[in-house]
Amino acid sequence: MRKSIVVILGIICVILIYFTLVSAGKVFRSEGQLPPRTPVSEQPKYRLVLITQELDTPFWIKVSHGAMEEAEKAGASMEVWGSYGKNEEDFLKKIEIAIDSKVDGIIVQGLDSDAFKNLTKIKAAFNGIPIITVANDVPMVDSLRRTYVGSDQYLAGQMIANQLLADMGDSGKVILLGDSRNEYFQQQRLKGIDDILKNHPNIFTRYAETADTKEQVIATTQNLMNELPTVDAFIAVNANLAGAMIQEIGRRARVGPYFIYSFDDSQDAMSLLESGNLDGMIEQSPYDMGRISVDRMIQWLSGKTVPLNTEGYLTDIRMLRKANQP
Amino acid sequence: MNSIQKKIWILAGVVLSIMAAIWITLTYYNQKTMDQYNEILQRYLSMNEVTNASQQTVTSLYNYLLAPTEVNLTQLDTSKVRLRKARIAVLDLRSEESDFALTNYMNLIDSLIETTDRSLMFQSEKESEDSDKAFSEATRISKYISETTLTLLDNDLKTYDRFYRDMIDQSSELKKLGIWLMLTITFMLLLFTYLFSSSITRPILKLTQAARELSRGRFDLQVEVTSNDEISFLAKMFDRMRININNLISEIQQKAQLENELQQNKLLLRESQLRSLQSQINPHFLFNTLDMLSKKAYLEGSEETSDLLASVAGLLRYNLKRLDRPMTLKEEVRVLGQYIEIQKARFTDRLQFNMDIDESCLSIQLPGLTLQPIVENAVIHAVEPREDGGTISFRVFDSGERVTIEIADDGPGMSETKIRQILREDNFETESHSTGIGFNNVVKRLRIFCGLEDVIDIKSESGNGTIVILTIPKTKGNVKDDEALDRG
Repeated sequence: MRKSIVVILGIICVILIYFTLVSAGKVFRSEGQLPPRTPVSEQPKYRLVLITQELDTPFWIKVSHGAMEEAEKAGASMEVWGSYGKNEEDFLKKIEIAIDSKVDGIIVQGLDSDAFKNLTKIKAAFNGIPIITVANDVPMVDSLRRTYVGSDQYLAGQMIANQLLADMGDSGKVILLGDSRNEYFQQQRLKGIDDILKNHPNIFTRYAETADTKEQVIATTQNLMNELPTVDAFIAVNANLAGAMIQEIGRRARVGPYFIYSFDDSQDAMSLLESGNLDGMIEQSPYDMGRISVDRMIQWLSGKTVPLNTEGYLTDIRMLRKANQP
Repeated sequence: MNSIQKKIWILAGVVLSIMAAIWITLTYYNQKTMDQYNEILQRYLSMNEVTNASQQTVTSLYNYLLAPTEVNLTQLDTSKVRLRKARIAVLDLRSEESDFALTNYMNLIDSLIETTDRSLMFQSEKESEDSDKAFSEATRISKYISETTLTLLDNDLKTYDRFYRDMIDQSSELKKLGIWLMLTITFMLLLFTYLFSSSITRPILKLTQAARELSRGRFDLQVEVTSNDEISFLAKMFDRMRININNLISEIQQKAQLENELQQNKLLLRESQLRSLQSQINPHFLFNTLDMLSKKAYLEGSEETSDLLASVAGLLRYNLKRLDRPMTLKEEVRVLGQYIEIQKARFTDRLQFNMDIDESCLSIQLPGLTLQPIVENAVIHAVEPREDGGTISFRVFDSGERVTIEIADDGPGMSETKIRQILREDNFETESHSTGIGFNNVVKRLRIFCGLEDVIDIKSESGNGTIVILTIPKTKGNVKDDEALDRG
């Protein structure tokens, strides 16, 4: 009787102690994950910001990827800011915040607008913050940028025109569709195309500008096709317009017979090429752009290369053709 | 030795220390949690302070630009001081992840202060357009600060989301732990109390049982208590007492036995005395008659009869007188001679009596009337029943320390059982017509007198007679002899 009481009580005690220990373990173990309040081990040498208007496009993801990697290698801290879907107001605000935050350097997608130029030329210069434009350039006189890293847009225009000639032949009607903002890089591309095509008098070019909303693009494409029913080729000088344009062409006729060209810096460029709607596309090197821009910025900040080449550091461009795709 | 008091102290100590440990742990844990909460709150409060201070600065600047009075200027200064303080407070919030954002944040605050100063400068230089521009910039920066504050808070929430959830989980775990702890302590206390109380009461129970057994008179059960406190001490003492009582009792028993034996001896003596008294009923008459008969026979010329009668009278007197005191062997031998004379008159030639005595041994002492009954016994068994009579030989000789007395007959002998009966002093039936004192009585008295068991021995073979051998120590006899002589 006595013994059994002791044994039963003992067993109950052991079980309870086990559960208590398990519970205590839960309570006190999770305390190990205190807020990661690790003090800053060492201040990074430079604080850089990459600001773009189109955070979500594959092109810009690659750019930021390259920039991040390079910054990490160089021991600089880097953040990518920007707006989604070409929100200009947001974009400019970010630039202003970056300037007011006194970052060491700003790498920015150039925007050919007065507000942008105002910010870079006056405010950034006033605060002594260097600016490098990437992918899209704004001339130095307008922006006081230190340098430009990206493709030679003029060359890109020439390449696309040459490709058109090779595909279509020496005569035909070509529609060039551009953004109504008519930014600097677009002008360069157009110039490149024109410089090639003007030597071929049998080629008739029709340039049109449109706002970048989808409805506007469709409306403009409709008008152009009504105007020129015998058109042979389309070039979307601004890559963002290509999607809506091809959709409209497809609605009216088969897309196949037309020669359609564009660039790669848009959301849907690659998928359009893969689906065969685009005959050719200029592929740029976004990863290199990010990498090189950070590299140049750090070189400038550390005083290794002063001044930077004001003409810019050009990255590789290639012509991607439908036939090239498997 | 663990005293009961010590046990109680230990129990209380264990309980107290468990309670204290739990209390300390919980308090420490609580404090830690509170610190964490405080820190989190502090973070949010200091960020909020930046927003408020920046807004206040902008408002003060606006007021001053509208009405550049001393009061507004001081107000602007105080709000700037507040903003700087808030900036320093934010400095503490640095961490690896938020470093970039926080640096931006602080630089924004710097920019705000600079822009405010610039606006003031333009104001003092009466360039109101530039001043307004700077003011609008300050407003924008203030707006950015508020936004950044929100972003930082948002980031903070995201970063510490897991941690906050952990805290919530932990508090619920703590509740569970509390319940488990309470249950555990309750059962542990139950167990300890049970063990503790039984460790005290069990020995007491055992002791009670032992006491009960003792009171019933069982002194042979050992009192065993296997604890190590006062109770075991008590039990030990109790056991010692039991052993002592046991010893005393056995001592008393031994004494009683001795007393008993003594009593028995006395009784035997009484018996012989009683017998002698019985035979004293008319001793004087008998002596006088025998004397008178002896004289008469002598006068009538029958000398033989006269001598015989004198022998009978002498034997009778000795028989009556000398039973309770030691006699010398000489005296005994004399009486034996008288007895033989009488028996010879009875049996004439049928009785042959040979005597061979070492005269130097006659001074030893032995109880009175020892030899006569033995010889009488021999006469009865070896001579009386036989037609042609028998021979009895009596020898006394020195055998070193002792004197040996042999009484041998050539009768039919006795059986082994009978010898054993005699030597064991069992009562056996004796044939009548003895002079009164039986063999049994003789054996007992001899043994008591000498204090030796082997004082008498009987050897017998069927048909070849019986030898009774008495070996009596010399020393004791000599001492007693002197005493006897003193008494006359």
